[in-house]
Amino acid sequence: MARRNDTLSMRLSPFQKIYLLLVAGFIVGPFLPVIVQSLAFRWAWPELLPGTWWLEQREKSMLPLAWDYVLSPYSRVWEATVNTVFIGLVVTAICLAICLPVARLLARESFPGKSAFEFFLSLPLIVPEAAIGIALLMIFIRLGLAGSYAGIIIAHLIPTIPYMVRMLAAVYQGLGREFEEQAMILGARPLQILWRVTLPMLLPGVVAGALFTFLVSTNIFLLTFFLGQGQVITLPTLLFSKISGGNLDTTAAGITLIVTLPGIILLIISERFIKEEAFGKGFGS
Amino acid sequence: MTARERRTRILQMLQLVPILSVLVILFGGALVMALLQSLGFAPWFGINTFPDFSYFGSLWGSKIFWVSLWLTLYYATVSTFLALVFGTMLALALIKAFPGKWLYKYVYKLPLMIPYTVGIALAVIMLSSGGVLSRFAAFAGLIDDPGQFPQILKTHYGWGIIAVYVWKQTPFITLAVYAVLLGIGRETEEAAAILGARRGAIFFRVTLPQILPGIVSSTLICFAFNVGAFEAPFILGGGFPDTLPVVAWRYFNDADYTLQLQGMATVVSIGIVAGVILFAYLWVYRRYERRMGRH
Repeated sequence: MARRNDTLSMRLSPFQKIYLLLVAGFIVGPFLPVIVQSLAFRWAWPELLPGTWWLEQREKSMLPLAWDYVLSPYSRVWEATVNTVFIGLVVTAICLAICLPVARLLARESFPGKSAFEFFLSLPLIVPEAAIGIALLMIFIRLGLAGSYAGIIIAHLIPTIPYMVRMLAAVYQGLGREFEEQAMILGARPLQILWRVTLPMLLPGVVAGALFTFLVSTNIFLLTFFLGQGQVITLPTLLFSKISGGNLDTTAAGITLIVTLPGIILLIISERFIKEEAFGKGFGS
Repeated sequence: MTARERRTRILQMLQLVPILSVLVILFGGALVMALLQSLGFAPWFGINTFPDFSYFGSLWGSKIFWVSLWLTLYYATVSTFLALVFGTMLALALIKAFPGKWLYKYVYKLPLMIPYTVGIALAVIMLSSGGVLSRFAAFAGLIDDPGQFPQILKTHYGWGIIAVYVWKQTPFITLAVYAVLLGIGRETEEAAAILGARRGAIFFRVTLPQILPGIVSSTLICFAFNVGAFEAPFILGGGFPDTLPVVAWRYFNDADYTLQLQGMATVVSIGIVAGVILFAYLWVYRRYERRMGRH
């Protein structure tokens, strides 16, 4: 009988306890040496901790070291951060504006070709990014959009639209149309209904979708790198250029931590808004 | 259909226009243009031999292409499979109650929130020959020179690439499976346990069929991403022969611009391979669903 109780129990088995610790170590552990590296001045092999720390040398040096360099304009960290946030915000705004009506239609109406349309909407998730990136670059060069903010923003819409539509459609499904009908009966105009009834009720879902879109956009590397042509840098492409040689020096370690920071902030904010259930929807079925 | 209904229908269709124009013109247009160019249509270079299969011919005729294709699929498959196993195990642990669970639910999602390039930086500092594992090996007295540390990165085994993909995608699959697990509840598992099923039987015959939709959709997305990923194989891969996206990028940036058409043939090949595999996967899954009587 002991076995059955064990299977049904809501408590972790000893193996699961160890497993949870191992996974946490695998996920967070590698950040420790990155933090150490970013603070090191000299960290020779095989020392487990740096022989000389950054702060010890800081006063003696003429040139900016490690964090001094990372936080200075030479590293272009600030420029990359501003670009990342700016592109993310514009992509989120456009994505929201064009996805809201579509999500409403998908959740509430039926129209000819609906299931084909839904499948088409999820296609960008399963077409390899390299294929889209290079093919788009070819077109954007002709149109003069390569290396421009507009080109990158348009490209970022492709992988963000599928997620946004799914998340918003889920919210619309949970929201009955009675309230809007009431407002209509009471004589509200369509825009009034949208602004005063629909949007406030949709707000939690809209915030979740917007956060997720912003997150996806700020994490995109390939499309920005291919279409930005080195003229527009964001945090992921800046880090790429620092580590493409296969080494992680102290300034690259510092930039790694800076690039991680927005993700941590978003993680803390989004946990309240993004429901796990949003990811459980089947694919194209 | 009355005039009013027709007007509503037209209004509805108008709302689809912005999304359709982004997806059809950009996404669809990019794919069609790639196909045309790979078949010899590039008048802006003064090349127009459409339809010309020689670019595919010379690409598919070289042995190197098939090695590249094998490497691409090998990295993508192994890492998707590992992420699936680790992610499912994690989701099964996460539905249980344990102290500190709220904090754990923040921690395990961290890789989802940050770019792949951060994962690559972590792989470099952990796994390179002068990295942390190598230092630990020296500390344990196993090696006394960084050169003696077995090479993990920049080999065609791709351990570094696989480690980065698994690190980044395990949380993604966990989230998808966890969401389904929350939705189905535990009644069926309890029923099976009361009827005397063993733990293994409960997982494979009761739980797994129910979480399969979450598994299929999340692994589809991961696999497709891995096939088309560029940065990890570029930095952590073993060099020539590269994975297909890196090969395409090198063709595209070659000083000889006519090689761009060869690059387009590579891009189209990536799309064809990914498409065939994903549709086969979905087809098998649908057949299974139908046999289970679910559709």
